[in-house]
Amino acid sequence: MSVYMDLNIIAISDKTKLQNIIETAAHLGYSTVAINYVVEPQQKKQQIPKPLSVSELCEKLPIVQGKSRPIKVLNRLTVVATDASHFRPSNEYKNFDILAVFPKTEKLFHAACMTYDVDIICIAATEKQPFHCKRSPINGAIERGVFFEISYTAAIRDSTMKKYTITNAINLVDVCKGKNVIMASGAETALELRGPYDIANLGLVFGLSDGDAKAAVSTNCRSVVLHGETRMTALGIIHVKKKSHPPSEQPDEASPALKRAKTEAL
Amino acid sequence: MVRLKARYLLCEVCVSDSSRLRLLEERSIYQAVKAAVIKAHGEYGAALFNIGSTVTYVNAYTGVVILRFRKAHYQLLWSALPFITSIWNQGQKVQCFFNCIHVGGTIRTCQKFLVRYGRQQLCRMLPHCKTEAEKQEVRRAVLSCSLRKLGVDDGDKDEDSEEEET
Repeated sequence: MSVYMDLNIIAISDKTKLQNIIETAAHLGYSTVAINYVVEPQQKKQQIPKPLSVSELCEKLPIVQGKSRPIKVLNRLTVVATDASHFRPSNEYKNFDILAVFPKTEKLFHAACMTYDVDIICIAATEKQPFHCKRSPINGAIERGVFFEISYTAAIRDSTMKKYTITNAINLVDVCKGKNVIMASGAETALELRGPYDIANLGLVFGLSDGDAKAAVSTNCRSVVLHGETRMTALGIIHVKKKSHPPSEQPDEASPALKRAKTEAL
Repeated sequence: MVRLKARYLLCEVCVSDSSRLRLLEERSIYQAVKAAVIKAHGEYGAALFNIGSTVTYVNAYTGVVILRFRKAHYQLLWSALPFITSIWNQGQKVQCFFNCIHVGGTIRTCQKFLVRYGRQQLCRMLPHCKTEAEKQEVRRAVLSCSLRKLGVDDGDKDEDSEEEET
């Protein structure tokens, strides 16, 4: 049984609802979820929100279905970019585990694929993609390890949106040949989540093959999380961690810490 | 003779309020799935759905449903299931979603999986127990479904005892 992840749960201000969503996700078998904070810089005075820390959100995380570990909660920032000035790498981005960008124009899409330091590029689900995905930027993105996200909640809510989602998804999958695609929910209520097996099967509608569809909810998501980690560190080679242990335990702790650093570098 | 192969989808109907599950009925689930397939795949989907698709088992206490499709096109029909958001029954709307937990080739493998899954649910419930009596009850239920011989109604019984705890 592989590890399933849902990297898009919209951050809503209601805490109990959010807890409810996380609980449902754990019940469905997702072992990692990411809480998504969406920023639209073209609206005036929108600040980059401070992510809630996990301990603040709920003191006891629910146990994942079929596992004995509690669910892992990450923070994700999505920048909706309509202009090149909207995406500015700043220190505020560093509070988030995963960084995503939602380009609205072809030029920005090209830039996001080729140069932006992001983990995920979102594909429109609620409207027709205003530009055509070209092969060269997508190949560049695949080479850099950036992933494309298809969110399915809009499709569940409304049948017109479903048409747009399927159109855009098939357009994308045709160009990238099923590689580097992830599927995430984008859910705002607990009833909009779907189980990982259902989503893997839904991938067939989006034109993914069996293996690719399964990878889109499991291994590809893992790559996204790891890619997000490399952004924090020096290309994933060196990772500095503050130790909270008292100094007396240092000789015992030295070797596991070394090992940990090595595995993270890989 | 070669038998006609089928796929059994073991699904769980997830609702926000578990008392609403009592409203589930075989016919209303069949209608909901049929409507979803028609909406997703049109007349072609409806035609495929009409061949050998049935709702084999419904447990109104836990919301476990077994759907049976022909093997040749079960993936197409399955892809319509995520788009179900509510089930109508006797004029009442039940907000829910289907979560497929197992795909089996025979109903027997589904049953085996369901017993294992039910036990897993009981284990998950253990940390949520408040009193010692509740804990004992759950422990007893866990043991009973692991030791008892796999009977026909075994799945139902331990599912029921799980329901009492919530």
